[in-house]
Amino acid sequence: MPTADVVVIGAGLAGLTAGIVLVDAGARVELVARGHAATHWTPGGFDMAALPGMMSSAAGIERLAARAGHPYALLRGDVRAALAFLREAVAAEGLTYRGALDDPLRTMPTAIGGTRRVGIVPAGQGSALDPWATGERLVVCGIDGFKDFWPSLIGASLARPGVWAGPGAGAGAGADGREEGRPDRIESVSVELPGQAGRRNVNALELGRAFDDAAWRREAFGRIARAVEASGHGPGRIAFPAVLGITDHAGVLRDAEEILPLPVFEVPLVPPSLPGLRLYQALRAAFLRRGGRMSIGEPVIRIDADGRRVTTVVLSAAVRERLIRTDAVILATGGIAGGGLIGLADGRLQEPLLDLPVEAPPADGWFSADPLSGDGHPLERAGIRTDANLHPVDPAGQVVFDNVAIVGTLLAGQRYLAERCGDGVAMASGWRAAAALIQGRAAA
Amino acid sequence: MSIQDLVREATYLEVAMSADECLKCNVCNTVCPVARVTDLFPGPKYVGPQAQRFRMATLLPPQSDIAPKDASPDHWVDYCSGCGICTLACPADVKIAEINNRSRAEMKAGHRPKLRDWLFGQTDLVGRVGVIFAPIANWSFHNRLIRRMLELVMGIHRRAPLPDFARRTLRTTLRREARTAGSGIVLPSAAIEPPPDRAVVFFHGCAANYYEPHVALAAIDVLRRNGYETIVPKQVCCGLPLMNNGLYAQAREQAHSNIDVLADYARRGYRIVGTSTSCTHTFKAEYREMLDIDDADAQAVAAATWDICEFLVDLHERGRLDTRFGRLDEQLPYHAPCQLKSHGIGVPAMDLFALVPGLQAIDMDHDCCGVAGTYGLKKEKYDIAMAVGDPLFRKINATDSTQAACDSETCRWQIQTATGRPTRHPVEILAAAYDAYPTA
Repeated sequence: MPTADVVVIGAGLAGLTAGIVLVDAGARVELVARGHAATHWTPGGFDMAALPGMMSSAAGIERLAARAGHPYALLRGDVRAALAFLREAVAAEGLTYRGALDDPLRTMPTAIGGTRRVGIVPAGQGSALDPWATGERLVVCGIDGFKDFWPSLIGASLARPGVWAGPGAGAGAGADGREEGRPDRIESVSVELPGQAGRRNVNALELGRAFDDAAWRREAFGRIARAVEASGHGPGRIAFPAVLGITDHAGVLRDAEEILPLPVFEVPLVPPSLPGLRLYQALRAAFLRRGGRMSIGEPVIRIDADGRRVTTVVLSAAVRERLIRTDAVILATGGIAGGGLIGLADGRLQEPLLDLPVEAPPADGWFSADPLSGDGHPLERAGIRTDANLHPVDPAGQVVFDNVAIVGTLLAGQRYLAERCGDGVAMASGWRAAAALIQGRAAA
Repeated sequence: MSIQDLVREATYLEVAMSADECLKCNVCNTVCPVARVTDLFPGPKYVGPQAQRFRMATLLPPQSDIAPKDASPDHWVDYCSGCGICTLACPADVKIAEINNRSRAEMKAGHRPKLRDWLFGQTDLVGRVGVIFAPIANWSFHNRLIRRMLELVMGIHRRAPLPDFARRTLRTTLRREARTAGSGIVLPSAAIEPPPDRAVVFFHGCAANYYEPHVALAAIDVLRRNGYETIVPKQVCCGLPLMNNGLYAQAREQAHSNIDVLADYARRGYRIVGTSTSCTHTFKAEYREMLDIDDADAQAVAAATWDICEFLVDLHERGRLDTRFGRLDEQLPYHAPCQLKSHGIGVPAMDLFALVPGLQAIDMDHDCCGVAGTYGLKKEKYDIAMAVGDPLFRKINATDSTQAACDSETCRWQIQTATGRPTRHPVEILAAAYDAYPTA
């Protein structure tokens, strides 16, 4: 039976962060996942915390850390180190980020003409972080035949009063409801890209791959530049759907800067999210480069334990089972969407691999009258309670397994959507779990 | 309805209904190697689970009387290469590639198959005839004019990687070799069979029998070094080339022929070992998931089936692999084929390469070489297949190596043709490493 120092289960931000830190320290790590998920669905930025009334991610983290039972109460000291490590790791793979924990949160448009507050975003979304100067215009630029981004709808929606304050912008809107910063004018254009005449159904992946082609994209940017110039005059920025390349994103951004008359920022789209895909690819490359082993496709069906220590991770296979003996397991299986928690018909939430004690509201609290309210969904808080080293504990606070660590969305007490803290909790918990294991190994 | 019909219906529904789990998240589209290079194929989500809703609707009353089961609303499905990477990437466990394979078969059912597609399914017939006429057949497959005509008449691309026929079949060679004492080869005619702890049952498949007997001989050699004799039972093509060309009825006949022979061995505790990752995966999963064959015999065969490298790693983990490998000081680019990934057994070849002193095996980390069985041989799909494999070929060409390694035969032929580097089965490398061990 193959033996690993650590098996990481889950290939999202939390699992990959833990994996990279561990292989960086020389551990033999086997990362397994049943498929791709969160990275491919989300906007590719780092949501650390965006609370109503809080001006920066750092302020939000402090507020959350002060709440008993929030993961940040355990992890607040690790956030900066984790973020710095991760930024460096993905930058080495060619993916850079803008923004910092202490910077003010900024409001950026969404693909349905709403706004969201962001602190740390990929360089491709970076110019959305700059404050709007007087007289600046926003050109919302769409692509003919592309149905995931409607520039006139987005433009009209963004022109409405109050939109730039956004839900949850809170103090940013000011006492009189005046918005802190927004473009003076919003224009919408749609461009026919080379070779796309008459096409009525292009998707983000096809466009992303087309932009990877240097000759094609230079012609495309030429057309976009002409459309932007024809739409109006003066300084401003271009909001463009997030299709600016997959494998050569950095090259695409360089060409955009050279050819386009205004700075451009990508607006994340419905899945598949290209900024998320780029993040996944950078994390995967960083993990493999350091010698990590990874297999995607077969779900873990069981984890065998001997008393309070897990010993073997059991994966399904075409026939029989695949066993990996291990000294430790990092559980990065996600929440309800990722399959880390399962809702049972009898009104319980179950953690399917180790049947860990789940902290969850009773079943009659599972249903929210308004799941999109600022308070989020009651089930977001559900998860596994841990000690300071992220080992799972029972309701009495006793550690259930000594060599299992819980990371990411599976941790109880966070409202990862409402508080927009999911990425910060993921990277800080991945970092903490890995660091605890490395210290344990050094001590042993 | 008979029990057999019910079993069939159940496995059919297991694959077909998995579409219900689809979240429409598009992850499958992000990993599809075919959609990456051509817009003739819109992506697995569209032709798979999305189109499946329309197919499934025909299962329910009242539509069931008027619409045929599985009628595909989406004919692009024929451009699916069947590599299966979508099924692996799906976070909701939808059996996307399997849905596609079945709906292609349904789409083609009732139509006379193209001569080419029919012929691609007849691996035993083509192999037998080809070996008899090997010198002239091999010459003509290298003749440009003949290849052009073949493309024109048959639709087999003129540059498609067709392998050379062997001068004699593996089975002929084995009949000769089995007479030598200590050959470790046990033929069906043998009076006594060694017990299951000292012998495995070998499924050589068509590739080793008609084109690459040396792969099977290397496997037999490696098994003998580890104390295992090789029983070579009667067998026919596993049926996968038929399935991939939509010929399910004949594939079922072949499956039953093999199961009839192999189930008895499986029940007696023998392990069935193969050098072709696609044949062994067909036994493990496809008889059930595509052909709805799920009786006790088929289950016994599936449970007893091992890929050769999987088997050797298992020996090693139990401390029973002879690790007296000699030095092979070379770089070895390695491609893990799609069919191997679908086994869910990791990458056993890389684990074995790590045991050979001096050998620097490098996993090329590319999804698919493009050929996907017979897909890349077809005139209308050749360019797609080459584009799918192109990054792999570039990576291999960038290494400082004289040869490459890959577990699956059609992938080997594709890589070999595209890179000009001889491409070996991992077990050939291991046999060479055993040979390189210094003898005192």
